[in-house]
Amino acid sequence: MTWSDLYALLPVLVLIFGSTVLLMAGAWRAAFSTMVAYGILFSLAAAATAVFHTPGSHDVAGFFLIGGYSRFFSILWPIVAALTLTISFRYGADRGFSGGEYAALILFACAGMVLLSSASSLVSLFLGLETFTLALYILIAFHKGSPLGAEAGLKYLVMGGVATGLLAFGIALIFAATGTFHISEVSILDASNGQFHAVTLFGWGMLLAGIGFKISLVPFHLWTPDVYQGAPSPVAGLLATGSKGAVFAALVFLLGNLQLSRTPLANLLWVLSAASMLIGTLCALRQNNLKRMLAYSSVVHMGYLLLALLAGGTSGHTAILFYLVAYAFVNLGAFAVVTVFSSCATEPQSYEDFKGAGYRQPLAAAALLVFVLSLAGIPPTAGFMGKFAIFYAAIETGYTGLALIGILSSLVSLYYYLRPVIIMYMSGDSNTPSFSMMASEKSVLILCLIATLILGVYPGPLFDVITGILP
Amino acid sequence: MIVPLSHILGFSSALFVMGLACVLARRDLIMILIGIEIMLNAVGLALVGASAFWQKVDGQIFVIFLMAMTSAEVAISLAMVVYLRRQKATLDADAYDGMKG
Repeated sequence: MTWSDLYALLPVLVLIFGSTVLLMAGAWRAAFSTMVAYGILFSLAAAATAVFHTPGSHDVAGFFLIGGYSRFFSILWPIVAALTLTISFRYGADRGFSGGEYAALILFACAGMVLLSSASSLVSLFLGLETFTLALYILIAFHKGSPLGAEAGLKYLVMGGVATGLLAFGIALIFAATGTFHISEVSILDASNGQFHAVTLFGWGMLLAGIGFKISLVPFHLWTPDVYQGAPSPVAGLLATGSKGAVFAALVFLLGNLQLSRTPLANLLWVLSAASMLIGTLCALRQNNLKRMLAYSSVVHMGYLLLALLAGGTSGHTAILFYLVAYAFVNLGAFAVVTVFSSCATEPQSYEDFKGAGYRQPLAAAALLVFVLSLAGIPPTAGFMGKFAIFYAAIETGYTGLALIGILSSLVSLYYYLRPVIIMYMSGDSNTPSFSMMASEKSVLILCLIATLILGVYPGPLFDVITGILP
Repeated sequence: MIVPLSHILGFSSALFVMGLACVLARRDLIMILIGIEIMLNAVGLALVGASAFWQKVDGQIFVIFLMAMTSAEVAISLAMVVYLRRQKATLDADAYDGMKG
């Protein structure tokens, strides 16, 4: 490893350094808010490093490809981590979280997401994925007083372990058939018949099944609602946005130079995408719990993203990256609203708990309205532009059937997205105490709102940036 | 190589399926975790075999990474076992069914 390699990995090094420092400092029992504040500082420092340092295109030991694409995600994921930490100030202090470990684990998970997004080898893809999965195992069960948190942690641990096994075995089979881990070499088709070797194809299937677990595609989605419900809200926000987004960033690179339509993998992805959109929508319809509804909605959104991945090409990949940015802000905002409504003891999740909330907390309720409209894809929000780009790319490449399923499911989704908002504006019982929002929570809500609206009204600049950095 | 690659892949696939069956069939949390370990060891075996076949060390290096990752995962999952045992005084996976729907 040379100095230029280390320089290329600078944003990740800042994150890991910050995480180690916080873990050590946590031993001296510093206050929760101090440690979280330092965590935010370190993650913003990592994002700033990524903005200002320009190593050019650089290949680190055949493991990581540092360039515009990885730089984009080295800016995005630290910002997501900083927002996650910012909404945890009151939530974590109320529940007696230990600040050093909490902030350190979030930074560590963020480092894993950045590494995964810049992986150029199947080995580094696996290691990046495991880095943040291991941190999330702990973060999900972080609230020691909550039995649901323990159960969620257990479910994620067992499902995650099986997914790790499938992914690793898939990689081992691909290596056995091709003799290389490098992504640009493993995706070359057999020259003799334009197809994969049977072992390679089997390996790809297992790899995609493992990844399907991590991004909760139907039929691998069963853990999602339980984990979202039991995990602390800020952690659930990070899980929904960062961890799934980073996997998609790696998938774009992984399947980018593969001629998908010439392999049977395209049919597999077609079925996974259609099933995620349809079954996710049907399950979301009967939810009475806001976090479970958001979990099924994320299953549906992963189906949309898979559709864009199938469409491929510049338009498909641009749509994925735009959607990831929009989805990160919108979903973090929605989980921030749940965090805002959490009191010392409980976390309101059932729709009944939100009765009359629109009058007690007008800003939070209005923010939730904008976020769910964006998730449903109503203009002028970021979600509309994202969905438009995805369906445009899909119809352009001939996936009209899937695009129709997608449009249908987003029409139906309006019903389950608007239900909690309507309940918020119904008259509720007046004995629920009102409370004042912390400045940190308010600033995150406003930031996510502004991002959602600006990306919806004026998406041009972001699309230009994305077109410039695609691999 | 004395042992052909196909035999190694066949054996490691059998090991992998046995591990997966252990995860799916057993309800004791410790046995589920052992099943996951067996799956990961099957991966290690396949990688070492493929590495010897291609005369490349890449696969062996990945096995070292895999071992480090597995030990980290075992540390976390055993801590989780102790934590769950304190919460409910049972390690039966079916006892943890507080969330449904």
